[in-house]
Amino acid sequence: MSIKEEFTKGLWKTLPPFRLVLGLCPTLAVTTTGINGMGMGLATTFVLIFSNLFVSLLRKLIPPQVRIASFIVIIASFVVIVELIMQAYFYQLFKVLGIFIPLIVVNCIILGRAEAFASRNGPLASLADGLGIGFGFTISLFVLGCIRELLGSGSLLGVAVMWSGFEPFTFMLKPPGAFVALGILLAFMNLISSYQERKGG
Amino acid sequence: MRDIVRMIVVLSLIAAASGLALSLIYRITKAPIAYQTIRFVKEPAVKKVLTGYDNDPILDRKTLVVGTDDKGAPVEITIFPAKRQGETFAVALEGKGKGFGGLIGVMVGISKEGKVLAIGITSHSETPGVGSRVEEASFTDRFQGLGIEGAVTVDGISGATYSSTGVMSAVEQAASYVVKYKEEIF
Repeated sequence: MSIKEEFTKGLWKTLPPFRLVLGLCPTLAVTTTGINGMGMGLATTFVLIFSNLFVSLLRKLIPPQVRIASFIVIIASFVVIVELIMQAYFYQLFKVLGIFIPLIVVNCIILGRAEAFASRNGPLASLADGLGIGFGFTISLFVLGCIRELLGSGSLLGVAVMWSGFEPFTFMLKPPGAFVALGILLAFMNLISSYQERKGG
Repeated sequence: MRDIVRMIVVLSLIAAASGLALSLIYRITKAPIAYQTIRFVKEPAVKKVLTGYDNDPILDRKTLVVGTDDKGAPVEITIFPAKRQGETFAVALEGKGKGFGGLIGVMVGISKEGKVLAIGITSHSETPGVGSRVEEASFTDRFQGLGIEGAVTVDGISGATYSSTGVMSAVEQAASYVVKYKEEIF
């Protein structure tokens, strides 16, 4: 696969929360508004890009027996860096995302990409893979967050957009609402995929 | 044998490099993080416990060394003075007390006459719905008008004794600083 394909596959074919159905914990927990979803997505992308790059650069050096431990040390370091930077420059976002920032360490997308991709491919391809999957994850969280914000509080990116008599479905802001929104989005994606397949075949 | 040595060396090197990188980032972000906590955590609390001032307590804040910790490093507290026409008439400062789930941070407003003006909880990790009720105004209002000398006691919240006591000892700590360093503060 070319570098470009490594990047674009993360945007549709292996879109993390929907296609790989990985990393659902942050996906469902923090997407109460579009901005929160995007902040979480960008933090994860940052960690993913750098962990992919470093794992790929060190892949010939790391003995296979201690690879998981080494990957986790690399990932955890970048997570702490993200946490400190967010605390220093985006304090309000840091407060909202709270415990889910340190939990990026155990996000299976990141370890999954390190193990399945970066430890077997060159730095450039790994970088493209990290960028693609990361952006895919960010966009998914952003869209999910926007849908939940729109239905759950009647606003979009903090601005009220629904008509005045609109009664918000506060249910959508609760964890079960996250599952419902995720299910509906998944159904739409499958619909598009099956339509494309029929057209192609 | 060679494999084992290699494993140990590689993993140690990775860990050492990450430790080095983290300490560097920590140094860079230390000052901005301190500023952010003052801006987003302390400032709202200070504004809550002080009223009637015409200065900026955040800008006029000063630090005071109040002793040393176990390792001999100086312990500093930050004082937020409230001034009217250049004269300090009250201060806000933070005290900490041991609650049920860790330390409870309490911002205490104290007048020059030595009375508690108001308190506000800045940080706690008490049980939500039980110990966290110490944040409610019905509890924090009980501290208004208390003297700062000696022990600080109010009626606790039933079912949240540890948390209530934690808040009381936090207020007591802040009050004791004011009593001890009265000259420097006012």
